[in-house]
This record gives sequence, structure tokens and C-alpha cells, in this order.
Amino acid sequence: MLLNKNAKILGQGITGAEGSKAAAWMLEYGTPLVAGVTPGKGGQKVGGKIPVFNTVKEAVEAVGPIDASVVYAPSMRSKEAVIEAIDAGIKLVVVIAEKMPTQDGAYIYAYAKKHGAQIIGPNTAGLICPYQKLIVGMLGGGEAAKVFTPGSVAVVSKSGSVAAEISIALKNAGLGVSWAIGVGGDRIPGTIFSEALIDLENDAQTKATVIFGELGGTYEEQLAAAVKAGEIKKPVIAFIAGEFTLSLPSEVQFGHAGAIIEGNRGKPDHKRQVLREAGVKVADNFDQIVGLIKESL
Amino acid sequence: MILYEYEGKQLLADAGIAVPKSQLIDSTATLKNDDLEILKQASRSGEPRLRKTQDGKRVVLKAQVLSGKRADVGGIVMVNELSAVSSQLTDMFGKTIKGERVQKILIEEKVDIEKEFYLSISYDTDYRMPVLSTSSSGGSGIEERGVKTYQLDILDHSQVLKQVQSENKVPEDLLQKLIDLFFRQDCLLLEINPLVLTKFGEWVALDAKVKLDDDAKSRHPEWNFPLRLVPGHTPTQNEIEAKKIDEGDYRGTAGSAYFDLEGDIAILSSGGGISLTAMDALIASGGKPANFTEYSGNPPREKVVKLTKIVLSKPNIHGLWVVGTMAANFTDIYETLAGLVEGLRQAQGELNAKFEFPIVIRRGGPRAKEAFEMLRGIKDLNLILQGEEVSLSQSAKIMTDLANQYATK
Repeated sequence: MLLNKNAKILGQGITGAEGSKAAAWMLEYGTPLVAGVTPGKGGQKVGGKIPVFNTVKEAVEAVGPIDASVVYAPSMRSKEAVIEAIDAGIKLVVVIAEKMPTQDGAYIYAYAKKHGAQIIGPNTAGLICPYQKLIVGMLGGGEAAKVFTPGSVAVVSKSGSVAAEISIALKNAGLGVSWAIGVGGDRIPGTIFSEALIDLENDAQTKATVIFGELGGTYEEQLAAAVKAGEIKKPVIAFIAGEFTLSLPSEVQFGHAGAIIEGNRGKPDHKRQVLREAGVKVADNFDQIVGLIKESL
Repeated sequence: MILYEYEGKQLLADAGIAVPKSQLIDSTATLKNDDLEILKQASRSGEPRLRKTQDGKRVVLKAQVLSGKRADVGGIVMVNELSAVSSQLTDMFGKTIKGERVQKILIEEKVDIEKEFYLSISYDTDYRMPVLSTSSSGGSGIEERGVKTYQLDILDHSQVLKQVQSENKVPEDLLQKLIDLFFRQDCLLLEINPLVLTKFGEWVALDAKVKLDDDAKSRHPEWNFPLRLVPGHTPTQNEIEAKKIDEGDYRGTAGSAYFDLEGDIAILSSGGGISLTAMDALIASGGKPANFTEYSGNPPREKVVKLTKIVLSKPNIHGLWVVGTMAANFTDIYETLAGLVEGLRQAQGELNAKFEFPIVIRRGGPRAKEAFEMLRGIKDLNLILQGEEVSLSQSAKIMTDLANQYATK
């Protein structure tokens, strides 16, 4: 997941409205986007210089091994695009689409696991590494350079826009970001908090991590278990949203597909409690995040 | 989307899984016994499955509501005397069960049970895969009493079939049908409680709780289920209207999650994650939201107009908070905020009111600069414009304070 600055990046669905905008932002930022794939659009160029191929296989043959692919395809096409990337030997696939059916999300996660590959997303804005000038996806939109300043705090978030908010708060406090990673808000994400933070243990740039979680699922709980088990030793700060939903009917989805309380599962107060018990510093409101980070550095 | 029992049972029947004979009665339908087709069958001779069961009961009336555990609150009634059916129906139609008015009742034959089972398939976030849960007892409360859970490899179902079959007595072909149905119909939950073996040796699904994945709707043109909201909650008019905005228009979303609340600050928030953070922040600062709702994914202007009118339709609004991220990726801020202004103007016209309450707008992203220039030119509304220098929590506090000042003015 933690690519280096020479990583070769592929964009699938890159000639579409969102894909072409995101490709331009990546190139402008300095990311080594080396090729694109859109079936039927082979031979075109994106951003005036990036070659587009009909298949991932053709792209790999032309430009050599690819380190990561970012899939901008629409939700109903993303599953086949991911399978194509994994079949072509790509080990990291970032899936942007919102509203991918849960069945497809579960399928690509199982498929990646079986083939030794990793998925980030679906329903993510991707990841960014400011000190290496890498964007895989579209975090920060067209203003990544303004929103994400280089620094030593990793931001791992179920929401790309909250990752951006946290990064702005860090910037305003004179701090910066080592990596920001959108893990997405779906039911079955390819990469979860605990996995991202275990990877970040080996990143010399990262001194502490802040996570943004919300109601739904058990991924915050799984992070707490990993911290408790000593798999994550760097300081972790957490902010969990969705307290107000406890007063509303359950079985309602709030924004992200995974943001739903089912039975007793997914309650934000429970998440906060188990994270605290594991030694994670939990911010009660958004403005506390920066202070807790400063204490930890 | 959670299906009513009768809809779920139709899916089961279509998949070749036996369900009791039944008839669905609408509250507007005539309630004379003569019109109840199922009772005619019941009284006919030579119908082995509709004869009196050993405990002497003939039919079951089941209120069609989305909430579970109906039986405890009178939502399931056994009827011994067929002549009593119509009065029992009338009685049940008058009821509100766990916040839902009974509008449909399923009349079913009573089945003679030899043995009850519990079976469900759903997605589990701990394993990040589908799981199949079974128990060789069924009935109310089984979910808490302990079931055995098997991981269901989505790439290869054969292993779990063998395992479940060897440890339970549920036939393999029935399991296979249920697993196929779960995936083919993009279910998030397929629960049968109880699944019974009858005294005649037949496997019958006595109940069905099915939850479909709304995100898969575009590949299921056959899903013609009428609009519904959430279990245990009778929707308000605003909630119904808000839900309609996205119907048939897939460009972005607006209002698909909407709740009326008790407070005086109308909310228009944007983006999963940010919306939740904003609501928590407003409540933490002492503010009282009048609603929860959000729009995201670059909805067209007209959707924002509609949603704005809905949130402002309530009496006693003392403020409007338009809040979202400072770094939207694709949402056209100019278009959506132009929709806001248009919605405000239309609402003033329709309510014959002049809005003087504070409107705090904290928003950024594509064309935000143009949008804010446009907003600065508006003099007849009390707009407070905020950029990234104001944090979400600060924005919440400002909104709360201004609304309180306005309320006491």
C-alpha cells in the first residue's frame, strides 16, 4: 500500500468525466501516472501524453509492470475492471466508485486475497503522500497541494472529505501529513483501519496516525483489538462521528453504505469506548484532534 | 430496502422454496369471508395442507410490518374458527404495531410442524464475507440464543454446503437454492425463521426477512417494490417528500436520508462523514437541529431546490446551516448553492414569508469562488459565508449562537 515515488500507476476508466479530471490532477501534482485503460478507447491520450489502452494486459505489455491501478469505472463496471487488473498481475488496486453493490465488494476482496493483491476502497477518494508527490485517486480534488502539506501525521479515514478537513486543521496548526488514506465507507472494504495502521508502523515518515470512523460495521473495533494486541505501537488518535444517529431509528443508512446500525452492531459510543480501552486517544469533537496529535508527537 | 414478509416469500416461492398457501389482504379490501379465496380452499375437502392442524387451528393472520418480533405485540394471530376471520382482520387493521400502521395482512394456512430451524445469510464485517447461520431450533429470540455461523466463500460455495449439510439436516438442494437466491437477488440479508420440516416431510419457510441492496437496483429491473422508509417508524410528510427527490434520477443524491427532528435549526449538509460530524458538532454546541438530511455526489440544481424547500417548510425555524467539506471533489458548488438560493426564494413565495433568520454557509470545492461572489451579491437574505478558516466545530457554534439570538429577538 505504501508506494514509493517511482511507483508506476495505471488509471482504469480514465477517459470518463471523473477519470480524466482526476488524471489531470494526478499529473499536475507530479504523480507517475504511466498509462490508462478504457475499453474501446485504445490509442487515445490523456493529459496530452499518457497513452490509453483497451486492456490492462496491453498496457502492462507496453509500459512494463504496474505497481498500482486506480479504477474510476462506474460502480457497475468496477468489479470486472478490478478482476482484469488483478489477472494482469497488479497487486494494489484502488476502487473509487460509490454505490458498488456489496456483493461485488465482497467478491473483489475475496478475489484479491486469493491472488495476493490488495484493494483500497471501494467508495474511496484514494490515497495521497505529499512528501513523495503521489496521488492515487483524487484526494484533495484539484486542490491537493493546498489541502495536504507534507508532515509526519498519517490520516486514515472512511471519508475523503473528512481526511481533507483533518489535513486542513493540521496545516492551520503548523503540522502536516505523511499519508492520507481513504479506506472508504462501504460494508466490505478491501483495506481496513487495522491493516492500514499496521502498514504505517513501517513508514519512517509517520509518527502518529489519526483515524476518522463513523457508525456502522466493526472496523473501529478491529482496530482497537490490533492496538490492544500490540500490533500497532505508534500513537493513534480517533474521531468517531454519528453520535446523533443513536436517537434515530436503526437500520437506516447515513451517507456511506456501511454507515448503518444493525441490531447492536455499529454504535459510535461503543466504538469510542473500545478504542479508549485499547489506549487510543479519542477526540470528543473535531477541534480536539489537533491537540491530541500534538500531545502524541 | 427491507421487504415485507409477503414480498420476501414471493422471492422464495419464485426460487422454488415452499411457503405456506396464503392470501394478501389490503386494508381497503372487503372483509367478508366469502371473498377470502384461501378460506374457500380451507373448507374444501381433499386439500390435505389446509385441513385442521393437530392443535385445531386453521389459519394464521400476519400483520405486514417491517419491524421484527410482531408476535409479542399482537401482529400474529391464530384463528380457530374460520367464521371469526373477518372480525379478526378488522381488529388487526386498526392496530399500530411498533410504530407502523397495519395496512396489509397475510392470511396463511397453518402448517403442522415437526421440527423448526433457523437459517440466515448475510454479510459479516468481521470476516468481510457472506456468512450462513443456522440453528436446529427456531422461533422468536433465536438470534440471541446462539446460532452456528459458517463463512461462505463467495468464490466457491461448495465447502459451506458440505459443512452445513453434515452438521444440520437441512437438505443440500434447499441450501443451494437459498445461497443462489441470496446472490442472484443481491440480498444483504436473507433470513428464514423458522424454516420448518412439516409432519408431511415437506420443508416450508414460515417467515421471510429479506433485505435487498439498494446499490444493486440498476441491475434488477424486476424490483418494482413500492417506496418505503424504515421499520418501527411512521414517516412524516417531509420524510416521504424528501425520499422522492432521488426517485428515477440517479444524478447525485439529495434527501435519500432525511429525518425530522425537534429543533429549530434547519440543516442542509453534504457528504457522508462530514454530515455526521456536522450534526454531532451542532448538538455538542447546544444547537437543536430541525432535521437531518444531506445531498452529495454533484446533484443537479433542481434537486437542491426541492430539498431546500422541504427543510424550510417547518414552522419555527431560527436558522439554516448549509455545511459541507472545504474540499469537495466533483460537486459543483456554484450550481448547488444557486439551487439553495432558488429554493429559499421559492419557499418564501410559497409560504408567503420573508426569511430573516441567519443562514450560515460553510462550503468549498469546484467553483466555490464564483458561488461565494454570487452569494455576496444577495442582500435580502441574512447570509453568513465561511471558508476553511472556520472549523466545523466553530461553524456549528456560530450557527447555534446566531439562531439563539434570532429566537430571542
